[in-house]
Amino acid sequence: MKINGSYVLPVPQERAYTLLQDPEILQQCMPGIDSLTRVGQDEYDMNMKLSIASMGGLFAGKVRITDQNPPANFRLIVEGTGKIGFMKGEGLMKLDPNGETTAVTYEGDVQVGGTIAAVGQRLIDSTSKMLIKKFFDKLATISH
Amino acid sequence: MATPTITKTDKLVGKRIRRREDPRFITGTATYVDDIQMPGMQHACIVRSPYAAARIKGINTKPALETPGVMAVFTGVDVKDVGPVPCGASLPGLRVPHHYILAQDRVYFVGHPVAVVVASDRYIARDAADRVEVDWDPLPAVADPEKALEPGAPAVHPEWPDNTAFTFHQDGGDVAKAFAEADVVVKQRITSQRLIPTAMETRGVVADWRSGDKALTIYSSTQVPHLMRTLVAQMLGHPENRVRVSTPAVGGGFGSKLNVYAEEALMGFIAMKIDKPVKWIESRRENFLCTIHGRGHVDYLELAAKKDGTILGLKLKLIQDLGAYHQLLTPAIPTLSVLMMPGVYKFANISADVIGVFTNCVPTDAYRGAGRPEATHAIERMVDILALELNMDPTEIRLKNFVGPDEFPYATATGLSYDSGDYAKPLHKALEIVDYKKLLASQQEARSQGRLMGIGISTYGEICAMGPSPATPAGGWESATVQIDPSGKVTIMTGISIHGQGEETTFAQIAADELGVDIDDILVLHGDTAIVQYGIGTFGSRGTAIGGTALYFALQELKTKIKKFGAMLLKSDDISFANGECVDNKTGKTVSFAKIAGASYRALKLPPDTDPGLVATHFWEPPNFTFPFGAHIVITEIDRETGAVEIKRYVAVDDCGKIINPLIVDGQVHGGVAQGLGQALYEHGVYDETGQLVSGELMDYAIPKASMMPWIESSHTETPSPVNPLGVKGVGEAGTIGCSPAVVNSVVNALKPFGVRHIDMPLTSEKIWKIIHEGAQA
Amino acid sequence: MIPQSFEYAAPADLKDALNQIAAGAKPLAGGMSLIPMMKLRLAAPETLVDLGRIPSLNYIHEEGGKLHIGAMTTHFQIESSPLVRSRCPLLAEAAGNIGDVQVRNMGTIGGSTAHADPSADYPASLMALEAQITLVSAKGSRVIGVEDFFVDTFTTALEDGEIIQDIVVPVEDSSVGASYQKMVQPASGFAIVGVAARLRISGGKASLARIGVTGFGPKAFRAKKAESLLEGTAASPSDIEKAAAAVADGVESSSDLHASAGYRGHMVKVYAARALTIAFSRVS
Repeated sequence: MKINGSYVLPVPQERAYTLLQDPEILQQCMPGIDSLTRVGQDEYDMNMKLSIASMGGLFAGKVRITDQNPPANFRLIVEGTGKIGFMKGEGLMKLDPNGETTAVTYEGDVQVGGTIAAVGQRLIDSTSKMLIKKFFDKLATISH
Repeated sequence: MATPTITKTDKLVGKRIRRREDPRFITGTATYVDDIQMPGMQHACIVRSPYAAARIKGINTKPALETPGVMAVFTGVDVKDVGPVPCGASLPGLRVPHHYILAQDRVYFVGHPVAVVVASDRYIARDAADRVEVDWDPLPAVADPEKALEPGAPAVHPEWPDNTAFTFHQDGGDVAKAFAEADVVVKQRITSQRLIPTAMETRGVVADWRSGDKALTIYSSTQVPHLMRTLVAQMLGHPENRVRVSTPAVGGGFGSKLNVYAEEALMGFIAMKIDKPVKWIESRRENFLCTIHGRGHVDYLELAAKKDGTILGLKLKLIQDLGAYHQLLTPAIPTLSVLMMPGVYKFANISADVIGVFTNCVPTDAYRGAGRPEATHAIERMVDILALELNMDPTEIRLKNFVGPDEFPYATATGLSYDSGDYAKPLHKALEIVDYKKLLASQQEARSQGRLMGIGISTYGEICAMGPSPATPAGGWESATVQIDPSGKVTIMTGISIHGQGEETTFAQIAADELGVDIDDILVLHGDTAIVQYGIGTFGSRGTAIGGTALYFALQELKTKIKKFGAMLLKSDDISFANGECVDNKTGKTVSFAKIAGASYRALKLPPDTDPGLVATHFWEPPNFTFPFGAHIVITEIDRETGAVEIKRYVAVDDCGKIINPLIVDGQVHGGVAQGLGQALYEHGVYDETGQLVSGELMDYAIPKASMMPWIESSHTETPSPVNPLGVKGVGEAGTIGCSPAVVNSVVNALKPFGVRHIDMPLTSEKIWKIIHEGAQA
Repeated sequence: MIPQSFEYAAPADLKDALNQIAAGAKPLAGGMSLIPMMKLRLAAPETLVDLGRIPSLNYIHEEGGKLHIGAMTTHFQIESSPLVRSRCPLLAEAAGNIGDVQVRNMGTIGGSTAHADPSADYPASLMALEAQITLVSAKGSRVIGVEDFFVDTFTTALEDGEIIQDIVVPVEDSSVGASYQKMVQPASGFAIVGVAARLRISGGKASLARIGVTGFGPKAFRAKKAESLLEGTAASPSDIEKAAAAVADGVESSSDLHASAGYRGHMVKVYAARALTIAFSRVS
C-alpha cells in the first residue's frame, strides 16, 4: 500500500538530515521502540512494541538507511516480524530547505502480512500515518 | 406454508414434508466433530506461513516443546514420507507439484502449514504454537493469474517458471467457418472472482488410533468419507480396511469439504505416532486461508452471430487461477466450464483453450456449481451483449437460439448429450410471472423519470448428477443398501454423504412409497465407512439422481423377494404388494410387512431358490449426467447518488426434473441464490500483490445475511430426466448457476443510458457509481 | 481464535473496579471489540475487569435539560428507551444502526466510545450533539468535551486508569430535527461513511447546525465549515447542498478494500445532504 505525506520540522535542512540519521534520535522518536542496536553501516537491529490503543504486539527486525543523498533525500526501511504478523515500511524521505525550517515529504510503501494483514487492511493507511506523525511530532519536540 | 398432514396410504414422493434431520440440528443435539470427546485426547494447533512465498531457513521447536502440557511438535522432516495430498483429476501434460502435508523447505501460500503442536488442551496448543520459531527468507510472490503468466513473473514452483500447470484445448464443429460467416462478433473479457466458501462450520478432524487393533478412525467434517478413507490410507501407508472414516454432523460443505486435506492425514499420522486420539479444529481465519476457494476465472470470449441473432459459434480463452497446489479436483473444474459453454443454445461450433495457472494462493476447487456458474455467467452475459449489439430483446434472442424441446437427447458442440429439456417453458413462465410487457413499459416510465431500473434474465442449463465414471475423476456411481430387519423396520445405508441436502427425509419418502411402510419406520444412515458400503459422496447435485437411483434399484430387488415370501405365506401365486402388505388377489387375504420380514429371517420355510434375510445392495453407474435448466429474472434499481444496487424482485423458475420434496427443493433454490447473490454483489476473496489475503475475516468478506436477501419467488417446471428411473435431475447448485448472470444482466440493463456493456462481479456500489458519474466503462 | 490466558474479575462495585484498573487491569464492557481482538491475539491484557456487574454504570436519566447515559448502557437499551427516543432521538437512531441485533444486545456506549474505532457509529452523533463525557478513575473524575476526547485512530484522551463513567447529551426541543445516515459496509456493518446532522430552525432560519462525520478520516470530526455555511440560512435544498459539498473540507480520507478515498469523498457529501435533509424534515 502506497503512503505519502509531509511534515514541517522546525530546524534547517542540514540539521534535519543529521537528526533523521541519528540512531539515538530514532530510538527516542520511533513509537514503541525498545531497542535499536547498530549492526553495520546504517543498519540496526530493532525491537519494538507497537501499540495502537490496546492493540499491538512485539516486533523484532531491522531499520536501514540507504540511498544517502545528503542533505536532500535518503531511503528509510523499517521491517519487523512478530506473532501478529510482519510489516515492512520503505520510504523515500525528501528534505526541502525553507530557511529555519525543513519540509519533509515522505513517499513510500507499507506491506503487512499475517493477522494484521487479514484484519487490519482498512487501518493500514491511517495507522501508518498516525505512527509517522507521532515520530515527527516527537522529533520536532526534542530537536529544539 | 403449513406442511400438510399425511395419511398412511398417501404417496410421499412429491409431498412437502418437514425434514426429519432438523430437530437435532435445531435443538443443538447433533454431534459435530468438535463435540467429540475421548479419554486422553490431545489437541493440535498448526503453525502456518505468514508469507505467500518464502524459504524456511530453520525451525526451532524447542520453546514450544518445553511448554508444560505440550506432548509433541512435528515439522516437515517428520512427515516427509507421508504420501502427498492427492489430486484425483488428470489432464494430459498436467504438472503436479508434490504436495507434502507439511511444508518442507519452502512455503507457497499464506497459511501453508509448517509445523504442528500437540498438547493436552487447545489453549496450551495455541500458546505453544506461538513459541515455534521459524526463520523465514521471504521470496517474491505472485497472486494474480494473468500477472503470473507474464514473462519475468516470480515462479511459484521453481521447476516451472512459466507458472503453467496445464493447457487444455477442446473444440467442436468448425469455428473458423462460423466466424467467417458471421455478420457480427462480440468480444468481452469476463471474470468470475475468487470466492471463499464460508461454511458455517469450519473444518475439523479427530483421529483415533487403536494400537492393539492397528485400527485408525478419522472423524472429519467431510463430504466424501469413503474417498477419504481410500486416499488417507494410501497417504499413511496403512491398509485401507483398517482405516475407518466416520462423518459427524457437517455444518455446511458447498464443495469446500469435497476434498482430502493435509490435516486429515496429518491428524492420522499424529494419532499413530503418539498413540492417543488427537483433535484439530480449524479457526475461521484458517478456514479463509487454507480451505479451498471457488472460481478464479479470467475468460476472454468471442461470440459470432448472424444479424438476425442466430448464434454461430464461440471462442473462449479461459485463464484459471489454480492456486499453489492441486487439491482433489482443482484442474478439472475449468474443464467443466468448457463443457457447459454452449449453455441452452444450439450453436455447434466452439473452440476453447484453458490455461491452468499456478499462483501463490490457496488452491481453488469445487464450490457450489464448480465451473458451471462461471460458464453460465459467461455465456449468458455474452448473449446479452450480443442482444445489445443487435438491438434485440434479450428474450427474443434466447428463444431464437434455444435447443428445441423435440431435439433431445441433444448432442452439444462440447460432446455432451443433454438428456431432456424445454428451455422456453421456464422462460415463458417467468416472463408471465413478471408480466414482461408491463414491466418493459414501467421501465420506460422509470427511465423517463431518470430512474435506473434494470431487467435481467438468465436462461441457464447445467450439467450435474456427477456422473458417468469414465468422465468423472472422483468416480461417479453410487451405492445403497436396504436392510429390513426381522421386526420389519427399514434401514437404508446410502453411499452419499448427507450434509444438509435432506436425504434422511427424501430417501425415506422414496422407500416409504416403494415398500408401503410408515416413514417413521425408516432410518437413513450415511457417512460412516464401517457401517455403509463403499460410496462416492455428495457433490455435483448427485445425491438423489444417483444415490436415490441406487436406492430405488435396491428397493426393487427387495420388493421381488418380499413378493416371493408373500406368495409363500399366502400360499398363492396371484398376489400383489401394496401399502406395506401382500394380498392374495383371489381371496383378499393379506400378510403384513412385519410378518414377511420375520418369516424371511426365521426361515422355517423358504420360497424356491430364495435365500433367507431381506437385504439388498445396489451399485448404480449412471449412463449420463443430467441437465437441469431454468430461467431467472431479476429486477433491480440503482441509487444514482451512491451506485448501490437494490433487488426489487427476484423470480426463479427452475426445472430439476421430478421433485421429491418441494420444501427441500425450495431450500436448495434459496441457498443457491443466496450464494449466487454473494458472488454477484458482495463477495471477493482478495489477495494483494504480495499474496496476503486482505479480505481475511468475516469483517471484510461480506457473505449475504438474511437481511440482505430479497424475497425469492420460486416456482418450477418439471421435465423428467430419462437418465434415471426417478426422473430426477438435481437442484443443489442450480440456484447459484442461474443467479449471477441474471443479476449482472439486470444491472447492465439498468445502466443502459450510460452505454456500458459489461461489469465484472462483485457489483460494488463504487464500481456502479464510477460508471454513472465518471464515465467509467467498468 | 484462542486468546492468551488472562485473569478475570467481575466486581459489583465501581471503586473496586477502578482500583484494579489503576493497578493495570483492562476494563471489559460489552466485549464486542475487545474479545475479537483478544481472539486474534492483537490484544493480550493480563487481567480483565468486567464492568457488567456494576449497576451504577448502567442508567439513562434526565437531569437539568440533559440526558445522562451510563457507560455500560447497551446499544439496545439506548435504541429502545422511550426516554432517549423522545428526548434525544438522534442518539437512539445512531444506536439502532450499530452492527446487528446480537452486537446491540451486548455492546455498550462507553465501550464503543472508548474504543474509538474510526468507522464506529456513535462518534458522529456525539460530535453533532456536542456531548460531554465524564471520565473517572481511582483518583477522581473529570468532564471532557467529545471533540477533545477523540484524539486519533483508536486513540482517545483517556489516561491510564481512567474509564468513561457516563455520556451527557442535550434534551432536544421541537425546534431541533436530527438524523444519522450511513453507508453500511456489508460485511462488518461499520460505516463506510456516517453523518449525523442536527438543525435548529427558528424564525425560518437555521439558528444551529451541527454535523458530525465518522468513517471518513482517521477519527470522527465536526464539519464546522459546513455548519457555518448553513447557519443563518433557510436550510433550503440548495443551502443544504452547498453545506454538504463542504462537509469534509480539510480532512483527508483513506482507501481500503471497501471504498477508495475518492469514492468516500463523494459519499460523505451524499450522506451529509441526506442527513441534513431528513434532519430538516424532522423539525416540528
